[in-house]
Parts: sequence; C-alpha cells; structure tokens
Amino acid sequence: MTDKLVEVHDLHVRFVSRDATVRAVNGVDFDLMPRETLCILGESGSGKSVTLRALMRLNPPRRTVMSGTVRVGGHDVLAASPRQLADIRGGVVSMIFQEPATALDPVFTIGQQIRETILRHEPIGRAAADRRAQELLEIVQIPSARRRLDSYPHELSGGLRQRAMIAIALSCRPKLLLADEPTTALDATVQIQILLLLRQLQQDMGMGVIFVTHDLGVAGEVADRIAVMYAGRFVEVGPVASLMRAPLHPYAQGLLGATVHAGARGTRLTTIPGAPPNLEHLPQGCAFAPRCAWVEDACLSAVPALRSPAPGQAARCVRVPDTLQDAA
Amino acid sequence: MPLVALPDVGGPAQPLLSVRGLQKHFPLRAGFLGRSAGAVQAVDDVTFAIRKGETLGIVGESGCGKSTTSRLIMALMEPTAGEILFDGQPIGHGGLTLKEYRRQVQMVFQDSYSSLNPRLTVGESIAFAPKVHGLDTRRAIARAHELLTAVGLNPTQFARRYPHELSGGQRQRVNIARALALQPRLLILDEPVSALDKSVEAQVLNLLVDLKAQFGLTYLFISHDLNVVQYVSDRVLVMYLGRVAEIGPVDAIYGAAAHPYTMALLDSRPSMDPGNRRKVPPLTGDPPNPVNPPSGCRFRTRCTAAEPICAATVPPLAPAGQDHAAACLMVLPGSGHSRAPAIAA
Repeated sequence: MTDKLVEVHDLHVRFVSRDATVRAVNGVDFDLMPRETLCILGESGSGKSVTLRALMRLNPPRRTVMSGTVRVGGHDVLAASPRQLADIRGGVVSMIFQEPATALDPVFTIGQQIRETILRHEPIGRAAADRRAQELLEIVQIPSARRRLDSYPHELSGGLRQRAMIAIALSCRPKLLLADEPTTALDATVQIQILLLLRQLQQDMGMGVIFVTHDLGVAGEVADRIAVMYAGRFVEVGPVASLMRAPLHPYAQGLLGATVHAGARGTRLTTIPGAPPNLEHLPQGCAFAPRCAWVEDACLSAVPALRSPAPGQAARCVRVPDTLQDAA
Repeated sequence: MPLVALPDVGGPAQPLLSVRGLQKHFPLRAGFLGRSAGAVQAVDDVTFAIRKGETLGIVGESGCGKSTTSRLIMALMEPTAGEILFDGQPIGHGGLTLKEYRRQVQMVFQDSYSSLNPRLTVGESIAFAPKVHGLDTRRAIARAHELLTAVGLNPTQFARRYPHELSGGQRQRVNIARALALQPRLLILDEPVSALDKSVEAQVLNLLVDLKAQFGLTYLFISHDLNVVQYVSDRVLVMYLGRVAEIGPVDAIYGAAAHPYTMALLDSRPSMDPGNRRKVPPLTGDPPNPVNPPSGCRFRTRCTAAEPICAATVPPLAPAGQDHAAACLMVLPGSGHSRAPAIAA
C-alpha cells in the first residue's frame, strides 16, 4: 500500500466577520491516494470550493478560522509557515480555476507566467525555463506553442486560455492538481476537450486530482470517486459508478433525479423542495432534514454519522444500513 | 380598466412570429479617425418561424448569435437587415406600434439579479408594466399578487421584499411573473435556468411547463444546455457563428441530426455512464471569431467532412426530413460535395 497523497481529518472552515460567522465547512474527512481522481459534487454554497482552497490555504487569511488536519504529500498545510507554504503551492499542489480570464495576469505573456513559476521552484536558468514553457504548451495541446508563449491572455480564446492555465499549474510537476470547476465557463465542444485533456494528463503525469464541480455529467467523465457535499459536509462518498447508478443519501438521490437528461422529455422533473440552509445558523441535526421526505426524529437531534453499506461507500443518513461498521 | 388578453389575428396556421433574412452586423472602428475595420457578423441571414403554442429551442455556443437574435426579436436593437412579423403584422412602419408589440412579447433574462430594479420591491416590479399600460395602482398590485401566486411565491410573504432578499431561484420566479404581467402571447426565455443550481433548475423548468399550459403561451427558449433544450422544446434551431445550421422537430434533431455541427454538439455531452466514457473529443479548437468568419460554410474550419467546395459555397437550408432542414452541402442534392445525394430524377 502506498502512502496517502492527501489526508484531511475533521476539517472545519469558518468565515468570521463583525456581523456573523459563516460555517462553510463542518467536519470533512477524506483521503486521496496518488493517481486517484476525486470529484467533489455540490451546489453553490455547499462548501466545495472552500474545501478545495483549504488544501492550499487560499481562503482569505484574516477572516478564515480553520481547524482539523490537512496533510498534502506529507506536509502539514495548516501548520506551514508562509515560506513553506510558498514551496508547497505550485511545487507539490497547484490549482486551476473556473475563469481563466481572471486567474491569469493580463499584463504578462503566457510564457512569462510559466517561467516565473518554474524559476521560483527550480534551480534552472531562464533558457531552460523557456524551453520547458514551450514543452508545457505542447503538452496541453496549444497549436503553434512557440508563438503562443509571447501571447497575452486576452489574445487567446477561452479554450486556449484554460489550456495555458493548466500549463502553468503543471509547470513544476505537482503531485496533486486541484481543479475548481475548470470547464464551467466553456462551451460544450470545448468543455469535453478540456475534460479529456485533464484525464490524459492525470494518467501521463501520475497526479492525484481533486475536481470540484456542480455537474454530475462532468464528474462521470473524470472521477474515480465522488463525494457529494451539502452544507459543509460530505453527505455521501462512493465509487463513481455506484454513486451515479444508485446513490444512498436522499440529497444525492434528489440531485440525480433533478438532473435533466435525455429521455426526461414529457415527464415531470423530480425536484428537491425548499432551499439549502443558511450557513450562519445550521440546524443541530442533519442539515438536509428540512427538505427530506424521509425525515424522522433521529435526524433532528444529531448530525448522522457516516454509515457504510459496502466497502468504499458511505453516507451520512440514518436510513442507510451500516453493515461495515467495524471495517469503517 | 383591466388588461384584456389580445386576440389571435391570423388563426392557428399563421406563425406567431416570423423572422426573415435577419441580419445584425456590429461595425468595428479602428484608429483615431474611427475608420471602419470590418464588422462582427453576429447574426447573418437568419430565417425561421415560431408556431402558435409551440416551444422553439435555440441552441448554440457563445458567439453563435442566439442572444443577439433574441434581442432583435425583442426590438431592443435595430437589425441591419431583415424583417420580423408578429402574427402576420410588421413592427412599426404602419403595423404594430412598439408599445402594442411589447405587450405581446416579453422576455426573461439569464441574470435574475441585474434584470430586476434593486430599489423596487418585487411587487412594485411586477406591477410596474401594468401601470404603464393603464391599470390603476390598486388593480396593478392585485395583479402582481395573482402572478406571484402563479409562480409559486406566497404574495403576503414576498411582495414587499427587495430582490437582494431572495434566492436566485426565487428571483427568477419573480422575473417570470413580471414577464407575464401584461398577458403576453410570446415569452422569450434567454438562458433562464443557466445560472441556477440543479435542484432549483428542475423547479423552474417544471414551473415553465405549467405556466405554458395554464396561460396558453408560446416560448422561444434559448440555452447552451442541450439536455434542457431537449426537455422543453417541440422544435429546435441550432445556430453556429450567426447562421442557422439546422432546424427541425426535437426528436429529429436529437435522434437523426443531419448537420455535422449538431452531431458534434450532441457528442460533446458528457456520457453520464462512467463505464462508457468519451474517448475522443468530437471537435478540436474553439469556435472561430465572428469578426472574420470563414467563407462559404462557416463550420468548415472545424468540420471533418469539409471539402474545397465548402469554402466556395454558402450552404442553403436544404430539406433533411419531415419539417427538418440543415445548412450543409452533404444534405443538398447535387451540391458538388462528394457525400451529397444525387438529384432525384
């Protein structure tokens, strides 16, 4: 058994301001093996992006209170000093974002932005860094890579910009790539290109990938495992096939039913009534209980523990049989 | 005086809206003297009709002209060329006045927040247009309450709230209520669910289906999401770089697409089956820039079946089945493309 690439235990993230405390992440536990792809699936406000950013400590430092443990590639991220953190970011773990137009720096060329990252992390000269930058653009399949090194972000189309951002993220061969909705802003024909590129790069470079998305279809294309997030907790974790075929948690079931798919025409879409809870005032029990058709007394008193009916599958719901309690 | 629904003019066979040869070019100015430097050909020679009582879906990627088309229909901008007929009547030029036209055609936008006035309560927003059209305040407010109920929001709870006090799904319901306030016959829905979460998207789609039946509406539904368009539409129009690529009944478009772009678009959808994932992207590259679109067929630069003839000829819409047409030389008999059918004797 190889060492785990990521270990997250009891992660809590709160955003504190004068008026209120927002409990964005409320006790998340998970591991990631090297070369594994985990998709975190959730709706807006579920805490999926905050969880992802916590792995690099990118949430705004002054307002964020974090607790728990986060270990990435053996580094304790929450305890790291600013200097250690700068080594980890880009070198061990890097991130790609939803909107490449705002994530790239508009006043530097693509080549300069890749070179900057390489020179910060590796003791090589500018010429070598430039060669590597060109190689990277070829790896992400940017046509006429040599010429594109001198392009500014605004000179590229949306798909090329996203490829350039991937090139920057991969420039120091990270062990872990974090992807925050990287295809949401792209057109359908470009989205599938980027998804397949990421899947191939993940295999070629042997990276672990954590991929945040709200789109079940996207998760189905790239994930080994899916974690469904609701109100700052993982409510269900399982292998991609079983989660897409037969989800356990009522919220995951509702999400699957509400996804418009081919063949839904003429039928009424199943919906989840109500709206997600306010993260300033979370209920004491299961956060999904107010919207759940199966709610019972036990749901309201305490947050349900993860229950595991089969190896690798678990859900925070009192109705799920827990046949593997000892194994879990 | 209460608002009364406007009567049908041309009978059921007359399309509710016909668009003929619609064109919109945005000129680009360059340099100090503002010399003309070409034009963005956002919509180029688009012709279609919306039948009474149907939902026509428009799909396409960013820059294909679907939103410009909706704004031209809404008379929010002047077309460079072409005409729009509503129930057989032109807009302006001795036909319907803009005020009469806008009573019958209303629009819901993608961004539910920026399309509501932040300084009006939602009740005031909905009552605004009926007041402009002559309803007294008391009646207009009563009408707003009726509409809030129709879109599933309790008026006593919601009418006095401001837009920032609502969730995205609730705000989009308010936008729909406002669009219905003048009893329009045609509703233009421009990406109405694209900004919503999946669970809310399903609620709003169900609502749109219900309202259509309840008020006898006709929809023009614009979206980039192929699954959503398939769910709501009776017929589907596929646009690419400002032109119509294909139009036909929803089952024909999704089951027997004739245009290679439509096929690629359908094959770009995630498979929803982790055991049978997509292996190869159907298209490479991004859609080209509409400033200098390719000559001939605009899709030819990304099309795997392109031949030299495609650069020379603008493909006209050719019949591809019952009520189904595609702008591809492979569909047009005797076009000169090697895969074109022979001309029937």
